[in-house]
Amino acid sequence: MARSLVERTLASVTHTLEQTLFAEDIARQPGVLQSLDPRVKLVSVLALLLAVSFARNLWVIAGLYLLVLSLAWVSRVPLGFFVRHVWVALPFFTGLVALPVLFNVVTPGAPVLTLWSNPLIAITAQGLRAAAFLILRVGTSVSLAILLVLVTPWNTLLRALSVLRVPSVFLLILGMTYRYIYLLLKTASDMFEARQSRVVGRLQPAAQRHLVTNTMGVLMSKSYGLSQDVYLAMLSRGYRGRPRTLDRFTMQPRDWLWGAAALSVAVVALWLGRG
Amino acid sequence: MLLSLLPLPTTMSVGANMHIPDGYFGPLFSIALWIIALPWLGLATRQLSRQLNQRMVPLVALFAAFSFVIMMFNVPLIGGTTGHAIGASIAAIVIGPAGAAVAVAIALLIQALFFGDGGILAYGANILLMALIMPYTAAFIYRALGGNTLISDRRRLVASFAAGWASLSLIAGLAGIMFGLQPILFHAADGTPLYAPFPLQVAVPAMLIPHMLVASVIEGLVTAGILAYLQRGNPELLEVSLKPGVASRLESARLRPLWIGLAALVVLSPVGLLAAGTAWGEWAAEEIADVVGYTPQGLAATQTWSAPLPDYAVHGLNANLGYIVSAGLGIGLTLVVIWVIASLLARRSAAQKS
Amino acid sequence: MQVEPVFEVEDAHFSYDRRQTALAGVSLQVGRGDKIAILGSNGSGKSTLLKLLDGLYFPQRGVVRAFGQPLSEDRFNDETFAFDFRRRVALVFQDADVQLFSPTVWDEIAFAPLQLDLSEAEVKARVAEAVQTLRIEHLVDRAPHRLSGGEKRRVALASVLALRPEVWLLDEPTTGLDPRSQSWLVDFILEQAEQGGTFITSTHDLDIVSEIADRVYVFDETHRLAAEGPTEQILADRELLLRCNLIHAHRHHHGDVMHAHPHWHRPHAEHVHEA
Repeated sequence: MARSLVERTLASVTHTLEQTLFAEDIARQPGVLQSLDPRVKLVSVLALLLAVSFARNLWVIAGLYLLVLSLAWVSRVPLGFFVRHVWVALPFFTGLVALPVLFNVVTPGAPVLTLWSNPLIAITAQGLRAAAFLILRVGTSVSLAILLVLVTPWNTLLRALSVLRVPSVFLLILGMTYRYIYLLLKTASDMFEARQSRVVGRLQPAAQRHLVTNTMGVLMSKSYGLSQDVYLAMLSRGYRGRPRTLDRFTMQPRDWLWGAAALSVAVVALWLGRG
Repeated sequence: MLLSLLPLPTTMSVGANMHIPDGYFGPLFSIALWIIALPWLGLATRQLSRQLNQRMVPLVALFAAFSFVIMMFNVPLIGGTTGHAIGASIAAIVIGPAGAAVAVAIALLIQALFFGDGGILAYGANILLMALIMPYTAAFIYRALGGNTLISDRRRLVASFAAGWASLSLIAGLAGIMFGLQPILFHAADGTPLYAPFPLQVAVPAMLIPHMLVASVIEGLVTAGILAYLQRGNPELLEVSLKPGVASRLESARLRPLWIGLAALVVLSPVGLLAAGTAWGEWAAEEIADVVGYTPQGLAATQTWSAPLPDYAVHGLNANLGYIVSAGLGIGLTLVVIWVIASLLARRSAAQKS
Repeated sequence: MQVEPVFEVEDAHFSYDRRQTALAGVSLQVGRGDKIAILGSNGSGKSTLLKLLDGLYFPQRGVVRAFGQPLSEDRFNDETFAFDFRRRVALVFQDADVQLFSPTVWDEIAFAPLQLDLSEAEVKARVAEAVQTLRIEHLVDRAPHRLSGGEKRRVALASVLALRPEVWLLDEPTTGLDPRSQSWLVDFILEQAEQGGTFITSTHDLDIVSEIADRVYVFDETHRLAAEGPTEQILADRELLLRCNLIHAHRHHHGDVMHAHPHWHRPHAEHVHEA
């Protein structure tokens, strides 16, 4: 029997929380990438993402994916989890989207495997390559992004954004948003649980929708009320509209080395993958 | 028929609703969207910080957290169908489009960067669609249709549903255009698409139809549902974005029919786009030949109808592309014209009053 | 003996949205080094009074003076004044979720020193000192949503301690604390007060009042002050406490005689009956 909507929402909320807790645990392991300056990691990942994005050669993307896997391995990221997380859970739709691409109906080209001759339905060489490009590119890009989060505690990563000249008012907002996401999630899940304990049997879709939108309405009211109170709390501690943040990073020689290596790999990949 | 078989990004409720991942767009295309989106976001931020001053930080942070949480909710439709709302439209209605823009952009950044949901290079595209075009369109429709009615008026519920439905359908159509442009812009010598592989005549209806039937309906229902809750439970919150200037610009009983007409135009534009989409589909084979250098056998076999407009192409620009771009420009221009007329009328009515 | 005045409040009125009255004519004096408790039931106006004293709200009628200067919105637009006031007076909010708005404990404690434009080295020194005083070294990299109630309270106090304020305003500081944390909190207040701090604590927890206050103001349910006096005198006035809804009459049978006596609840301890 399908689970009720409320259960599913609760499950997805819990899943998100668990996922971030798990990520924080990995980020505190003594791995290779964990020990690097977060700014180096951020810039390296961006450079590699660009290389993946520009590549017109499948082997180059595959090579970059292997590089990502080996980096994950030396950083004590459980590979089974890492691969599964990226390929099964995340871009779930990418795999399905790629399916019709194989056929001449969507991607015209030289038929490789003919399923029906009149009208022609066949898998084309171009279709196969197009699907491979899409899946590999999306998978490798997502892997890079996930690896960055797994090896960097998120608040460190947040501060590293200053290297990209993100204004400090945005850094302040981002940090505050992240902090209050958990409070709102907790509120939502408490409301659902309270509701669930009072309901026997399953609700009709209309009633479920009513419950969900009411919960959202409560959350929105709470968000607004909290924003007013938090403003007072900031004011009380001397906030005058000029946010100031402080990072506690210092670049070591090995950070420079790693950064240079990552940038060289990206440049070589760009060169090889130019098609 | 093909459409119904297509499993589409947006019909699945696996967390990512409209979040375009990296790998679907060519890098230059992504960068171009960054270049459009960032200044717009910058303007929204400036406008907001001028309005709210120091209060901006906590307000945006809490509403960003709210948008983030909202996107995680499963919303039921009928027959077991569920989906996720983006929440940009209700945020735009409550705190205004500038506030919603910055808040949704922050929520999307956290999803992309900390949860790997939605691409990093594609972040420009994602904020352009979900954080900018969507809230501004939604606020526009809500204000136009809601008019000067009381906060508790039922008409506002209709207006908010229309705002949610049309704003998401519009960006779904635009995303379809963006996807559909990829195989035209970026392909290998043998015609292999390098990024999103679907041609325009597939991508546009494939994005539009499921959205118009499911996701946008959910967005509309959520928008109206939250509004209904706030009308009963927290009407003060609905007065937050109603600064005197905004209200007076949109009232004026004489202008109302005009406003409703214009809003209907915006609401219907995705439908128009869709109709156009099917039309393109019918003369696509010839154009594909132009692009990839040969006539696909499958399409040649099913081709029963030829282009009504011979040789639409201009200077090597593919006809298909030209048609889409002009359709997109048309919608954009319509919005701009509406906005210009509206501000002119508003200025005149303000002048008459004083 | 002339004590330097910290606060002088004269006939202050305040209502939210011009409808919901919170203060209906309140006057009080606080001198340097005073330890004051403000007693009142929920919703009697205690929190609002503290926010007026902290210059977050301003009286709609009457006047609030701090260090001899009347507080007003205009006054706070003067950067020098605002800066000086925020440095000297600090409020610990009742709701730790409002007080703790930063992504990590370290950021939270560093917020006020950063807003005071202190140098990087000085900010770090202030944070280290506050962390050490409150013995929360193990929490610095944690996110506030992963803290227990007692831990949140410590971090909230640390975030204010880093300001080194002269005047502490504490809003219901024992809410949600277990008995051990409560007695620890009392010790903290006494230690800080010994170093010359002025403490104004709002509470409805009668157990801590005699320890943390020399003088008590009591709110009644009409949002006015019903009484003022030395702690022992006020706590001995059962009739006053009963009238202000701080204790309640407790009826039960002794044999066949109906017996009633005033009574209050300790939040986490056994009930105390005083016949």
